Parts: sequence; structure tokens; C-alpha cells
Amino acid sequence: MLEPDDDLILDRLIHEPGRLAILTVLSSVKDADFVFLQRATGLTKGNLSSHLAKLEEAGLVVIAKRFIRKKPNTNVELTAVGKQRIAHHWDQLERLKSLSRTAGRQ
Amino acid sequence: MQRRNLETAGTTYSYLRGWFYIPGGLLIILAALANWEVGPLRHTWAFPIAALLIGAACLPIARYYNENYGRVSLSTRQHVRGAVAVLIGVGVMVGGSLLMRSRAGWSLDLPVNAAAVSFALVMLISYAMGVGLKAHHVIIWGALLVTGALPVWNGTDPTNIGLVLTGVAVMASGVFDHRLFVRTFGPSKGPNLQDSDARA
Repeated sequence: MLEPDDDLILDRLIHEPGRLAILTVLSSVKDADFVFLQRATGLTKGNLSSHLAKLEEAGLVVIAKRFIRKKPNTNVELTAVGKQRIAHHWDQLERLKSLSRTAGRQ
Repeated sequence: MQRRNLETAGTTYSYLRGWFYIPGGLLIILAALANWEVGPLRHTWAFPIAALLIGAACLPIARYYNENYGRVSLSTRQHVRGAVAVLIGVGVMVGGSLLMRSRAGWSLDLPVNAAAVSFALVMLISYAMGVGLKAHHVIIWGALLVTGALPVWNGTDPTNIGLVLTGVAVMASGVFDHRLFVRTFGPSKGPNLQDSDARA
């Protein structure tokens, strides 16, 4: 039987699938705008807006509103804390995966 | 949710905006025609003007991708990979062309189409390092590589024919790149893509 491991607690804010997708996309680029994030994650406009607001409130992303050719454009960038937490979250998921494989063999 | 697909969304966007390769391929073909002094391209001023017009044609293409699929800035690491791919590509193209067939004393003077072979290798390296080789890359650029490497290109310099073949390959690759781009990100008339109301 596996011993409980406090280090394997998943980040609830990040673990939500929509937010996990957003942060994963942002972790591999410098920044991206709202339309690209919508395309890359498949989220609806409302869902994406809601998730971005939560992530910004938690300090994981920075949102900048600007105008390009007189049209509003929302640009999103991961903060240093956001980079660290998404990387840690994926590490946790990988650890859980290998632990479950080990448990399955026992 | 595929982690790999999400992490490569940025590079997929950058490398597979295939419509850009249509004017790119056309420019390469026009370069060959200019070398052959065909029609108005026999004038020295004609090719620069054609190049400017083709460059201008890229602006609506850029707008199409920006408005329908958004904007993304690649990370420093991705830019460095791209720069390394370019450097390797230039080295392969220049060195390979000189080695395979040139007036240089150390040239192997092989009966191959050095332009076609070099371009094919450059594109294969670039795609492999950037976004990973897709089936159509292997087929199109592999076909150009094999065609150029066939020992049938004796006689006069076949560079211009190589450029024409390359231009056609660039355009064909661009069409398939764009198809893959649309399969990845959806059709251009996709879901409601108005900008967000986050922090409205």
C-alpha cells in the first residue's frame, strides 16, 4: 500500500482542464493573444475569459489590452510564478503516473 | 487533452501558415525566369519590382492569419532553434552546392542538381527542427531531393530548373501545411472569435 505523500497534492487552480490547457500553451511561448488561445485550447470565448480572469487574479498570467488596427486585442503572458507552478504541476502529474504504474505492478 | 499538442501549438502556428509559401515559391520561380531572361524579367529592374509586389502580397496573408487565428510570440528558445536551423540551412545550401557542382577546384562536379538537393535538405532540416517532419514534408521534399540527386543533370548548369522545381515544391508544401494548420486550429470561419471581455 502506498504511503500518503503530501508532495503529491495537485494544484487545484491549475488542475482544472481549461486552465491547465491555457497554461500549458503559454508555457511554451513568450505570449499569445486571446484568439490564439481560443484556437489552441478549443475553449469558448466565455470560458476562456473566465479562466483568464481567475489566473490573472492568482498572479499566474499578465493580461494586457491593446489596440491593433483599431481593434481590441488581449495579450496574455505567463508570469514567473505561473511558469514555475505549471512546470511543477506537470512534474506532479508525471510522478503520479509513474507511481500508479509501480503500484499496478506490485 | 494532449500535452504535446498544447506545448507545440506555438511552433505549429509559426511553421505551418502555409499560405505564405505560395508567394515564396512564386518568388523562387521568378528568380529562375529572371536568370533565363524570360519576357519582362530580362530587364534588371523587373525582378526587384516583382519581389516587392510578392512581398506586398504577404500582407493580406498575414492579416488573414492574425485575424482568424490570433497572434503568438515564440519564446527565446524557439527563436534560437529557428536561428540554428537557418544557419545549418545556409551552410548546407552554400557548402553543399559548392561541393556538389561548382567551378571550385575542390568541387566533386557531380551530375546532380545542386540547387534542388540543397533546398530539399534545408527544408527537411528546418521542418524537422521546427515542427517535426510531417508525411507531406517527407514526400514533397524527399521527391525533390531524389530528383535532384539523380545522376542525370549533365551538361549545362541545371540550377534554374532546380529553382523552378523548388518553387513548385515550396508552393505544394505550403498548401499541405495550411491544410494541416486548419486541421489543428479549425476552419477560419470558426467559433465566435471576438476578443475577450476579460478584465472588461
